[in-house]
Amino acid sequence: MQATQIIHAYKQAPWRVQRQYVGAFLLTVIVLALVAALYLDVTARTALAGREIQDLQVQITTMQRTNADLETELANLTASAVMQRRALELGYRPVEPGELDYVFVPGYVAPEPAILLAAADSTLRSDSLPEAYSQSLLEWLDEKVNFAGGIQ
Amino acid sequence: MRRQYAIRSLVVVIGLVIIGVGVIVQMVRIQNSEQAKIFLSQGDLYAGEFRTFYPERGEIYDRNGHLLAGNRTVYEVGVSLTEMKDVDAIAYVLGTYLNMTSDEVRDKLLNSPETWTYIVVKDYVDVNTVTAIQDVIRQLDEADDNRLNGLGFKPHYERSYPERNLASNLLGFVTRDGRGYFGIEEKYNDLLAGNPVQVWVPRDPNKAIDIPRVSNGTTLVLTINRDLQAKVETILDQSLSEYGAKNGTIIVMDPKTGEILAMAATPRMDLNNYTDYFQIYDNGSQYNRSIGMAYEAGSVVKVLTMAAALDTGTVTPETTFIDTGSIDVGGITIQNWDRKPWGQQDMIGCLQHSLNVCLAWIATQMGSPNFYSYMEHFGLGHPTGIDLSGEAMGRLKVPGDSDWYPVDLGTNAFGQGVTVTPLQMLMAVSAVANDGQMVTPHVLYAMLRDGHQYNVPSQYAGSPISEETARTLTEMLAASVESESASALLPGYRVAGKTGTAQIPTEYGYDPNHTNVSFIGWGPVDDPRFMIYVWLQEPTTSIWSSQTAAPVFSSVAEQTVITLNIPPDLVRNQYGSR
Repeated sequence: MQATQIIHAYKQAPWRVQRQYVGAFLLTVIVLALVAALYLDVTARTALAGREIQDLQVQITTMQRTNADLETELANLTASAVMQRRALELGYRPVEPGELDYVFVPGYVAPEPAILLAAADSTLRSDSLPEAYSQSLLEWLDEKVNFAGGIQ
Repeated sequence: MRRQYAIRSLVVVIGLVIIGVGVIVQMVRIQNSEQAKIFLSQGDLYAGEFRTFYPERGEIYDRNGHLLAGNRTVYEVGVSLTEMKDVDAIAYVLGTYLNMTSDEVRDKLLNSPETWTYIVVKDYVDVNTVTAIQDVIRQLDEADDNRLNGLGFKPHYERSYPERNLASNLLGFVTRDGRGYFGIEEKYNDLLAGNPVQVWVPRDPNKAIDIPRVSNGTTLVLTINRDLQAKVETILDQSLSEYGAKNGTIIVMDPKTGEILAMAATPRMDLNNYTDYFQIYDNGSQYNRSIGMAYEAGSVVKVLTMAAALDTGTVTPETTFIDTGSIDVGGITIQNWDRKPWGQQDMIGCLQHSLNVCLAWIATQMGSPNFYSYMEHFGLGHPTGIDLSGEAMGRLKVPGDSDWYPVDLGTNAFGQGVTVTPLQMLMAVSAVANDGQMVTPHVLYAMLRDGHQYNVPSQYAGSPISEETARTLTEMLAASVESESASALLPGYRVAGKTGTAQIPTEYGYDPNHTNVSFIGWGPVDDPRFMIYVWLQEPTTSIWSSQTAAPVFSSVAEQTVITLNIPPDLVRNQYGSR
């Protein structure tokens, strides 16, 4: 009898236990919902970024084509025959050897052929990015599970 | 009452659990079924596509950065048959803008194989035409009219040559299948074209970063000076007209490095219309006569004979020879170009008057082993190794060959019976102009790829003669030009050179009425900056080199010193002494 009294004295009321279960359940649901929302947000942002990358790649290709077209167009406009014709139209004429004066410039070194070295391509290569920047949460989990399985 | 609720709740929970478990079991079963694999593989088909990325063909520049060969965008105009709404409207629009009839377009679209979903109506359509068609589509779209649905435009590159026919013999061309023919375009085709890459391109934007970048083809910088090339081509064209020659070639080279500064030949073609090739040329060797056509060059070969004789010590500039007008070599009589005796001559006189008899005598004094050994070392009968496609080797018969006769020693000594290309002669004589060191001619100055530049070093092709021999012979040839080939002189600059007038061999012997005239020369003698070779084929106003090729040399040399900013000897020596 005394023992039963002690147990009753320390045992929680049933509604308290139920409330704890409900609380734990709700907490789990809230945590899962937060993780899901976070994952959804990250995935959506990744997809948007991926789409932007695709768009940028298309833009790069278009710009490269435009650049090539403009270079060729510029070369067409400054072709040797075109420049000669324009020079003649502007009243210039070919120089005669006797009309040239040479001036001695101490220390002057004739320029080497001008080379058209384009700026080094500093584009970030995809293989230089850590996987964490391109991996989804599921892919990461999948990799970890497979990796663990591999160890076993 | 509470017990009843509990039982009902339990039944509902058990029911929901059973349904839930059933759903999960079904999901797992479907995911792992045989059909699932098929669905997955079908899904993979739509997850992306295999795409081939063709790099942009490398550009070609002259040494001063002028674009000689570039690329421009053209379009493939096609129709997606699955999206096509109104074939008549599409046929009308494309027929109007693509210089086709509506019936032609309609026929292409309606009579295609059933399995085809996309039809190419026309390729290589220029950007202006495509823009005009796209404007029409845009206007219809604004009016919610979808009759032109299905029309597509795929951009790609086409080779473009802004300078049109300038240096066409040297550049070569690229056909629509992307392959280079002749010259630089063929020689460096693999470098210029780059490496196409075929990859799986996912549609998943999360994997967009996996799309690879394709490096463009290697860009080439040539040793050619565009402005000099243009001037030399103009001089060549004027010379053909002035002297009534059939064709011609002029090469300008830096004798110290072997860099080709200009290489002009006729006929030329507009490289943007490469299909003209078949109307202009009969065969490939005519495309660039500077390297592709070997001929009997005549007396310019005397430079090599004299170089060999001086180097072996067979003669010195002061050695005298009594020219009787003829000499017997191998049982055959060899005569001078004018069939007259020239009496006592020293070696400078032999070169000045271009005496066949004297040079044949020198060769016999040297002996055929020595003579042919030197000719081999000068590179006769071998390709020069220039980095251009389509080089001919020429022919140097040597003792032991079935068609070599003892008289060949005498005739070869003055350039008969031996065939060379203009470039071979230029390379051989570069040993004389460059203190005994022979240079390998080349046209590639540098390569640019992925932000890196690779310069092409100059290469020497041996030293067939000594420095002393080279300088002695240069002085002899300078004196020779001053007294006998005044039309080749360039006021203010001392030049060395040699004329060459050669009869043309036919099936019935040498043609007495037609000649090939040549001139090889370089300057300034004390510090050679340029070497020039001129070859005019069958001039009609005069058959003599001194009256045709020599003045052409002078004109080219004049433009060369202006373009390359080479001061006259007097100015250079004044400044050099400071």
